Amino acid sequence: MSAPLISPDLDETTELAAAPMEPWEVVVWNDPVNLMSYVVRVFRTYFGYSQERATALMLAVHHEGHAIVATGPRETMEVHAQAMHDFGLWATVRRAPQ
Amino acid sequence: MTGRRVRFRLAVIEGVHLRGLVEEFEDLVGGSRDAADPAIVRLTPTPYPEDAEASAAFAESTRGDLLDRRSADATAVRSALAVFDADVEALTEAEALRSAEIVIAADDIDSWLRTLTALRLVLASRLGIAEEDRHDTKDPRFALYDWLGYRLEVLIQAADEQD
Repeated sequence: MSAPLISPDLDETTELAAAPMEPWEVVVWNDPVNLMSYVVRVFRTYFGYSQERATALMLAVHHEGHAIVATGPRETMEVHAQAMHDFGLWATVRRAPQ
Repeated sequence: MTGRRVRFRLAVIEGVHLRGLVEEFEDLVGGSRDAADPAIVRLTPTPYPEDAEASAAFAESTRGDLLDRRSADATAVRSALAVFDADVEALTEAEALRSAEIVIAADDIDSWLRTLTALRLVLASRLGIAEEDRHDTKDPRFALYDWLGYRLEVLIQAADEQD
C-alpha cells in the first residue's frame, strides 16, 4: 500500500517582508504638574530633538492637550513611553491612524 | 560630560526638609508599592488606557522595574543630602538659614530632576491638583509643592547651562 507523496507547492510563497509595517506612536499628554522647562529638556535630551523642536512639542502638549513625540515600531514606542514615565511625563502608545 | 558638575545652594532648613521628603519617597516607591495608591498609579501610568488587557500585561511586566529606578534615583539624591543631618528643633534661626552648597555630578543630574519631579507628582496626587493653579493657600503643602517647583526650575536652568 502506498500513498501519494504530498509535496508543498513551492511556487506559493508568502512575502512576509512585503507586509506593511504598522506604525505606532507615543503621545505625551498635558498635566498640571510638570514644568515647561522640564518637558523641553526631556524631549531635547532623551529624543535628541533641537531646542526649537522640543519647545514646539512642549507647546503643543500645553495648548492642545497632547502631542505625538515619536513614531515607529510598537516595541520601540513602548521603550520610549517607559522612558517618559521614568521622567514623570504621562505618555501613551497607540496605533498610528492610517 | 565627564567632570562636569552642577552646584546649587540650599539653606540648612531646606536641605533637612528635602532629605526627609526624599526618605518618605523611598519608602513609598521601595516599600509597600500599593498599586491602588493614586501616587503610585501616577508614577506608573498605563500606556494603553483604552485596552485593559494590554494595560494589565504592561503594568505587570514594567511597574516593578520602574519603581526600582525611582528608588535608585532617590537613593542617589539622599546620599548627596546626607550633610543635612541637623535636628531642626535644635537649630537657631541663623543656623537654619545658613546655606550649604550641593555639588551634583553630571551623571546624577537626571536622578535629581526625576526625583524632584516625582515628589511634585506625589504631592499633587495627595493634594488633588488636577488643573493648573488650583491652590488652597491655607494648606502648607501647597507652599511645599511650589517650593519644590522653584528648586526644580533653578536646577533645570543650571543643568541646561551645562549641556
